Amino acid sequence: MAPACPDDPLRIRFCGLDFANPVVLLSGCVGFGEEYTRVAGFSNRDVGAICLKGTTATARLGNAPHRIWETTGGMLNAIGLQNPGVEAVVRDILPTLDFSETRFIANVSGSTVEEYAEVTRRFDDSPIDAIEINISCPNVKEGGVAFGNDPEMSARVVAACRQQTSKPLITKLSPNQTDIQANARRCIEAGSDAFAVINTLQGMAVDLRTRRAILGNIQGGLSGPAIKPIALLKVYQVAQIARPHGIPIIGQGGIASAEDALEFLIAGASAVGVGTALFYDPLIVPRITAGIRAYLDAQGMRHVGELVGSIQALSGTPGAPHCP
Amino acid sequence: MTSAHRGTIFLETARIVAHHSPAPEQWLLTLEAPECARRAAPGQFVHLQCDPALPMRRPLSLLRVNPDQGWVEILYKVIGQGTRQLAQQQTGQALSVMGPIGQPFRPDPQRPRALLLGGGVGMPPMIFLADRLRRDPQAKPCVFLGSELPFPFPIRPSRVLIPGLPADAIGTLALLEDWGIPCRLSSARGQPGCHAGYVTDLARAYLTPLDAATRDQTALYACGPEPMLRAVAGLAREFDLPCQVSLEEFMACAVGGCAGCVVPIHTANGIAMKRVCVDGPVFPAAAVYPA
Ligand SMILES: Cc1cc2nc3c(=O)[nH]c(=O)nc-3n(C[C@H](O)[C@H](O)[C@H](O)COP(=O)(O)OP(=O)(O)OC[C@H]3O[C@@H](n4cnc5c(N)ncnc54)[C@H](O)[C@@H]3O)c2cc1C
Ligand SMILES: Cc1cc2nc3c(=O)[nH]c(=O)nc-3n(C[C@H](O)[C@H](O)[C@H](O)COP(=O)(O)O)c2cc1C
Ligand code: FES
Repeated sequence: MAPACPDDPLRIRFCGLDFANPVVLLSGCVGFGEEYTRVAGFSNRDVGAICLKGTTATARLGNAPHRIWETTGGMLNAIGLQNPGVEAVVRDILPTLDFSETRFIANVSGSTVEEYAEVTRRFDDSPIDAIEINISCPNVKEGGVAFGNDPEMSARVVAACRQQTSKPLITKLSPNQTDIQANARRCIEAGSDAFAVINTLQGMAVDLRTRRAILGNIQGGLSGPAIKPIALLKVYQVAQIARPHGIPIIGQGGIASAEDALEFLIAGASAVGVGTALFYDPLIVPRITAGIRAYLDAQGMRHVGELVGSIQALSGTPGAPHCP
Repeated sequence: MTSAHRGTIFLETARIVAHHSPAPEQWLLTLEAPECARRAAPGQFVHLQCDPALPMRRPLSLLRVNPDQGWVEILYKVIGQGTRQLAQQQTGQALSVMGPIGQPFRPDPQRPRALLLGGGVGMPPMIFLADRLRRDPQAKPCVFLGSELPFPFPIRPSRVLIPGLPADAIGTLALLEDWGIPCRLSSARGQPGCHAGYVTDLARAYLTPLDAATRDQTALYACGPEPMLRAVAGLAREFDLPCQVSLEEFMACAVGGCAGCVVPIHTANGIAMKRVCVDGPVFPAAAVYPA
């Protein structure tokens, strides 16, 4: 799936794209690709790819403040897809990005199937490297997770986007659904080239002083270390469906160390995403890649691709699900 | 091709040089952060790790910086978990500091009479701005500070006359008096030497007797709780003065990446959701509180 690149143990090909390493910066955490370069020592060259903020057909103001809240081991966000609209992104923002530094992935959202298709069509006619379909945003009233929690609706969105582009299509799956494997299966049939697993989990917080919800949108998406075990299981489950088709996964949800990233790779992700952890440590990516390198060395592996999906069967019951 | 903002925020492992509580619930923290100290301007802030166990950093304004000795100073009030944990950190320990961040106050050279208004934990940026303005021979700063808690700095009766002020406005911060900057204090709770009321009362009393020519040389700069900023914006409108205010909002990244810290800002093209971290924290008052 990620053929070995003899020169660099971390360099991978992802849906035909050249990633300098398997670490991807996640949508909504790094604006439109240039924001973190404010931090001295941070470089877009250090990451395999960058997913841009969720983009819709027309500009959106997003949700009322407050939009973020710290929780135990993580945070809630309810941004509400604030973005300037796809036309402004393609016309004003993409020309300012340096595509020699890394791969840039658009993140597409909408209220209707038609809107997803329209935004995808506009990105198809742009220098963007790949397109991620966000059918799992918990923070908008229409579209988003409302599509992503229904396998049939998910497949309709993917099929509509597929018609508009030959660029790699990555479907971002929601953890807020009963059967993520059924959904993944339908999205593959509809033409998805890859998966991003998982988006945030729905949650809320209450202000005891005012007895009001803290977030302007009442509910938000939970991210950060608190969701890692859930994300890891979802990646493992989707990998059972996707890997036989040669379909790669960007595993994500709470990754905050090289060890976390390694767990996702072993569970079946070909690449790993980092979002919330950047807020605490903007220079975390070089630490993660260094840690992956060290692990490969210690295991005597020549390329990170050897790790992907290398999870070992439990002794006694090879390959069988383990029920307590 | 790439942005001019690249490499402007520094991540430093900063040793705590000093940390003490000069007044109830308030702490002064001095950190060794030479890169930040060298570049910081009044109104900018740092994003600080209060404790390794917390998933998020906390935004705190810069109070004073010393570019030559490489330290920055912060004044914070204990509010919740983050600032409570921060208060536990001892001299000699290290904290991760990101800064300097944000758009600073931009003093208007056409208006040398700078009226600086600070409320509560909004005092630090105003003291930093006063420190910068005292080095500018043209500038004539005047500072009014308000606090419901005891002031975290020594107070003494001022020897500098400020015309028009109420009779109970006697005290000043020794620090500002030593810098030769006129200053008065207010506290609605009533503290010795402080005007029993709000900073905006002092500002109104100061502005009212000014003649038109003097008023044309005056500008307002403010940082403090929301009701205070709203009142200051009202004063600016009433006296037809330009005014810059520094805002607060919950932050995650503090580098412009998450759009978590936005506030509605009125622009020529209608309302825009602007990020307090990098588009602010300082905004024109008229864009935050339109007529
Ligand atoms: C640009 C800027 C400058 C600031 N400067 C200072 C300063 O110089 N001195 C000072 O004492 N305080 C300052 N504050 C406020 C300070 O950030 C909060 O008091 C602090 O984050 C509270 O954290 P906590 O965990 O103790 O409180 P909690 O209430 O437990 O915090 C919970 C969450 O809400 C956030 N939060 C709560 N109140 C605020 C607030 N007013 N602003 C932003 N985030 C908040 C916290 O960061 C945390 O993520 C500033 C805020 C901003 C945005
Ligand atoms: C502030 C914030 C904004 C986000 N915005 C988007 C978005 O616009 N589109 C999207 O597909 N995911 C969005 N996400 C989800 C992240 O891309 C990621 O899938 C999720 O946060 C899990 O990873 P993490 O725990 O490493 O952050 C957002 C997450 C955060 C924290
Ligand atoms: S805190 Fe992330 S954009 Fe301001």
